[in-house]
Amino acid sequence: MKISRSTAMPYIIWMIIFTVIPLILVTYFAFTDGNGTFTMANISEVKDYVAVIFRSIWLAFVATVICLIIAYPLAYVVSRASEKKQKTYLLLVMLPMWMNFLLRTYAWMTLLENTGIINRLLVMIGIGPFAMINTQGAVVLGMVYNYLPFMILPLYSNMTKIENRLIEAAQDLGAPSRKVFSEVVWPLSLPGVMTGITMVFVPAVSTFIISRMLGGGSNMMIGDLIELQFLGNAYNPNLGAAISLGLMIFILLCMSMLNQFNEEDKEGMII
Amino acid sequence: MENLIVLKDIVVKFDGEQVLNSINLEIRDKEFITLLGPSGCGKTTTLRIIGGFVEANEGDIFFDGVRINDVPPYKRQVNTVFQKYALFPHLNVFENIEFGLKIKKMPPKERSAKVKEMLELVGLKGFERRSIDQLSGGQQQRVAIARALVNRPRVLLLDEPLGALDLKLRKEMQTELKRIQQSTGITFIYVTHDQEEALTMSDRVVVMKSGNILQIGTPQDIYNEPINAFVADFIGESNIIPGIMRTDYHVEFAGNSFECVDTGFDPDQLVDVVVRPEDIKVVEADEGMISGVVKSVIFKGVHYEMLVEGAGEDWLIHSTVASEPGTLIGMNILPNDIHIMDREEEPVLSEQKEDGNED
Repeated sequence: MKISRSTAMPYIIWMIIFTVIPLILVTYFAFTDGNGTFTMANISEVKDYVAVIFRSIWLAFVATVICLIIAYPLAYVVSRASEKKQKTYLLLVMLPMWMNFLLRTYAWMTLLENTGIINRLLVMIGIGPFAMINTQGAVVLGMVYNYLPFMILPLYSNMTKIENRLIEAAQDLGAPSRKVFSEVVWPLSLPGVMTGITMVFVPAVSTFIISRMLGGGSNMMIGDLIELQFLGNAYNPNLGAAISLGLMIFILLCMSMLNQFNEEDKEGMII
Repeated sequence: MENLIVLKDIVVKFDGEQVLNSINLEIRDKEFITLLGPSGCGKTTTLRIIGGFVEANEGDIFFDGVRINDVPPYKRQVNTVFQKYALFPHLNVFENIEFGLKIKKMPPKERSAKVKEMLELVGLKGFERRSIDQLSGGQQQRVAIARALVNRPRVLLLDEPLGALDLKLRKEMQTELKRIQQSTGITFIYVTHDQEEALTMSDRVVVMKSGNILQIGTPQDIYNEPINAFVADFIGESNIIPGIMRTDYHVEFAGNSFECVDTGFDPDQLVDVVVRPEDIKVVEADEGMISGVVKSVIFKGVHYEMLVEGAGEDWLIHSTVASEPGTLIGMNILPNDIHIMDREEEPVLSEQKEDGNED
């Protein structure tokens, strides 16, 4: 007991300095004005930005769903491959992450530009050009591209734990591939799906670089909004803190709902 | 009895390595047949061929006269009790057993009745709602058997199903399995490396080694008339002594000439003489055909296990009477208890030769 507590100390100190204290500060700023007196003005002002908040949630949701659709079959195939191949596949998944996040997003900018490589190619074969940059589609693409590994990895690590003999047992009991999937693989992979959704949705909903670089000015997201309050022209840290607090509470709600769903689903399967 | 499953010249290779060398096996309807052998002998692979989880590189497998090489596992009239059970962790006991029936779209009411009946058969009434990780090894084992049996397969494949259980539970389950097999009339194909298990439960035993079938026969056949020294040694403990077959009924080993019941060997052929430890009678030193000095005595419960050195050999003896280490004793062997085997490496026996083995 004593040992485990003392070994956890560095982390606890870290948490207090970099998580607990900032959280208290954010809460403090959210409920005060520039002079430090208590006010609800910041909180009530948040509702003026409902459109931005909903756009963020919507875009993050779409990106998460697309990530799941791409990552699930991929993770499954990788998890069933031979050990040597698994390593190669994982390396390919991780490879883009070795490059700087900003650089990757800049690359997409040049690709998607009106006079960018893709449009020039399209013009060459006689279709286009299309407006790709500064659209919501571009933002979703950027999010999917950047966060896909965070969906693949938890799914993969969950699926490697689904033993082959369970799949064989299902086949043995008369289940064709479709049933093996719906009755065994899918329910057993749900924890991985939940983790993947969390790992993609949370950073996606609060991103600001991707939306600014690929979405232009018209597709502002919560992250951009918060950044503007702290570093931008609209300088108003108290409002920024209030929006941050709102976003945090929203994410917490989403997560607890997800967990609820996960547990309920388990119950549902038992009945 | 008719042949239900026939394996014909089955060859299986994993990564170029031959795991099964042209296996021929006929499995009869309603019999309890055991594939027995040390690990790596190909017994599990043979079982998986029948289950449809391994494809044969060469050869054919017939089920009820129909070739089923290309029939996927889910379409075979075979169910498996897997090693370590492979129960579905996200389902409870009831749902695990129900799985196969649900896949076949049996109506819920019928399903529930069948599951209840199965739970009764395996002695797990009242465990319906338990989750799998709340069960002991023995209980998981029973669920695995029920999950397979509820589908009323023609054949039940069991892959070392009792391996994870303790001795007492294993004995109970052996009797239980035999009872279930007899009451349901389902063909059981059982894989084990435990010779005692094989002898207790089976109608017929198939002894395998390095991808070959060495011998097929009833437990009595296998125990009393092992075809070679490997089988003799694997099926219970044995003394294997080099000898020379002088003429029919006369064999020379341990510096003595013995009468035996074996015929059909070449004159003066080099042979292996196999004598079971319990077949060596301990007598006074001057009354024995062989005399030796007791090196060690171990109490084994039912009997004493003695190691005796005599006539240049080490003799393993099981006796209910112990002699002090260091004493000189005599040993006698009756003609019936002397088993003569060709001295050759692993003769490959195919099914056709099964009844024709000379001894």
